[in-house]
Amino acid sequence: MSKQKSGKDSLEERLGNLEPEDLKHALRLFQEKIHHEYASYLHSCVRCGLCSDSCHYYLTDKEIKSLPAYKLNLIARVFKKYFTLAGKSIPKWIDSRHFNQKMVEEWVDTLFGRCTLCGRCALNCTMGINIPYLIRMARSVLVDLGLVPPGLQSTVNTALRTGNNMGIAKEDWIETVEWLEEELQAEVNDPEAGLPMDKKGTKILYTVNPREPMFFPLSILAVAKIFYAAGESWTFSSENYDVTNYGLYSGDDEAAGEMSDRLLRSLKKLESRILVLAECGHGFNSNRWEAPEWLRKKYGLSVKSILQVVADYIREERIMLDSSQNPKVITLHDPCNLVRLGGIVEEQRFILRHAASKFVEMTPNREKNFCCGGGGGQLAMTRFASRRLHAGKIKAEQIRKTGAEIVVAPCHNCIDQLMELNKHYELGVEIKTVCEIAANALVIN
Amino acid sequence: MQDILRYGVILSFFVCLVSLTILVVKTISFGRRTFHAEPAGKGSRGIWYAFTRGMMPWEKESARKHLAAYFAGILYHLGIFSALFYLLILIIPFRISLYLSYFVCGAISIGLACGLGLLARRIFLPYMRKISCMDDYGANILVNLFLILVLADIFLREPRSILFLVTMVLFLYIPVGKIRHCFFFFYSRALFGLFFGRRNILPQRRVI
Repeated sequence: MSKQKSGKDSLEERLGNLEPEDLKHALRLFQEKIHHEYASYLHSCVRCGLCSDSCHYYLTDKEIKSLPAYKLNLIARVFKKYFTLAGKSIPKWIDSRHFNQKMVEEWVDTLFGRCTLCGRCALNCTMGINIPYLIRMARSVLVDLGLVPPGLQSTVNTALRTGNNMGIAKEDWIETVEWLEEELQAEVNDPEAGLPMDKKGTKILYTVNPREPMFFPLSILAVAKIFYAAGESWTFSSENYDVTNYGLYSGDDEAAGEMSDRLLRSLKKLESRILVLAECGHGFNSNRWEAPEWLRKKYGLSVKSILQVVADYIREERIMLDSSQNPKVITLHDPCNLVRLGGIVEEQRFILRHAASKFVEMTPNREKNFCCGGGGGQLAMTRFASRRLHAGKIKAEQIRKTGAEIVVAPCHNCIDQLMELNKHYELGVEIKTVCEIAANALVIN
Repeated sequence: MQDILRYGVILSFFVCLVSLTILVVKTISFGRRTFHAEPAGKGSRGIWYAFTRGMMPWEKESARKHLAAYFAGILYHLGIFSALFYLLILIIPFRISLYLSYFVCGAISIGLACGLGLLARRIFLPYMRKISCMDDYGANILVNLFLILVLADIFLREPRSILFLVTMVLFLYIPVGKIRHCFFFFYSRALFGLFFGRRNILPQRRVI
């Protein structure tokens, strides 16, 4: 167990109390976490600076610490110092540096506080260096030193302790679903319509972001309505329903693996066949792509985004949509973890083209989109809130340029950030999920 | 004397190759990575993309926004490879066509101009200066010097001894500093392609 998981002292205190043994331990971890891919990346940066315009932090604050090459080189300097002959022999020439308290402080401030792990720099790197994955690896070293910023760490801790990152009690979750079931029955005028809980042998086990039952229950209702219209066989789990995984952001592979494994265990317990993930960018990347690596096992079952499922319903004509029900101008935000790192790119567009009459794209879009600034655990790290809002300026300008009245974001993390940007930059837009738009256009006979 | 230096160049080249091989072996020894997540696309398509379309300005925003630096980089490398080709002719004499010799001269000259331009960019752009270390300047200056000496040899047939000496230093420096990217560029770019290819992100196979 890391110090942070058991201790209660502040981040600054922990930084101040670092001992040489801690640093040695961290270096051992650093070495353990580097595999040939990371080693190759760490040898590759030529500091060409072409990544400068790819980062929303650097574009908005122009501080050198926000430049992707600078962030990458914070890690590369340490790598060269301890793992290359040149770095050991001619450190000044090569710019290799000791992993000391000053370096650790800079890692915490820069690698946690100036990066959303959005991956836009990787796409634009001349060498193809996967910078966000290197930064996550460096964060994972800080996990063991107990140096994850408290807000982010407490989100991970809450999820591990209670089964969801908002600490929602099981009874409250069940009560919310029961209330939503009544709402659905009233809306579709069918007393048989339901939001099944712990139903065995269904095709789909559906997961949600805990912010949905807490603050945005209508987005759950929207999905339930779509499932109802499609005549889907599905269920919730009363125990493990949290699609989010803040271990992805903190860098804690062990915690992240445990959170994802819970969903898998529930799926097996309920004998469902497909794990369907709510509109959540990092939840998708975690459970679809990273969890099998954290757990070191092949899933052998299907993990899908709800967007894939809904797009299939439309294609197979299991649901009918009337786009005139959504007459306002709608634009789409591409969550980095879902699109650039997850590969879900066209499904949401396919749905919106069927569900809305005026859909306009942002520029740039798809895998080239700009991060909204809410990823990487930034929303949980209040100490970096002003940087986060400032970095969101790029996204705010993108939205404004579209002239849209509604911004659709298939990610609740992004929605939270977009709501703040909406207020801060006075955008005057509504923010919704893709399923809310689709549900609004549903034709139910 | 020149014969000794010629053998010195050959020897330094092999030292460079062996050192790079050791570096690669050390890199691989950090451990292989096995993928467990079911792929959505083909890694091989991603790798192909990474070395072709994925490097084009219309596909890569960083290249588009820094078009001058992007083309300077390409021409610089073209000049370097041309100079290495000329060096090969000096080491193992063989005849080339007149047109090829014009191309080599032109490529080296333009490459040198681009190399100097990139050096100026590193010196005069504040953010470039801030991310640069001595290795960045040293590597650029060393390569530029090599190009100058190759051009001098082409037009003046001298000072060949100095060219051979600088070439030896260059070969020995490759595994030490940033010029090691002559190998790691391919390694990292292939990994980039594999990552985005497996996830069906770049390039994207139509799914709907």
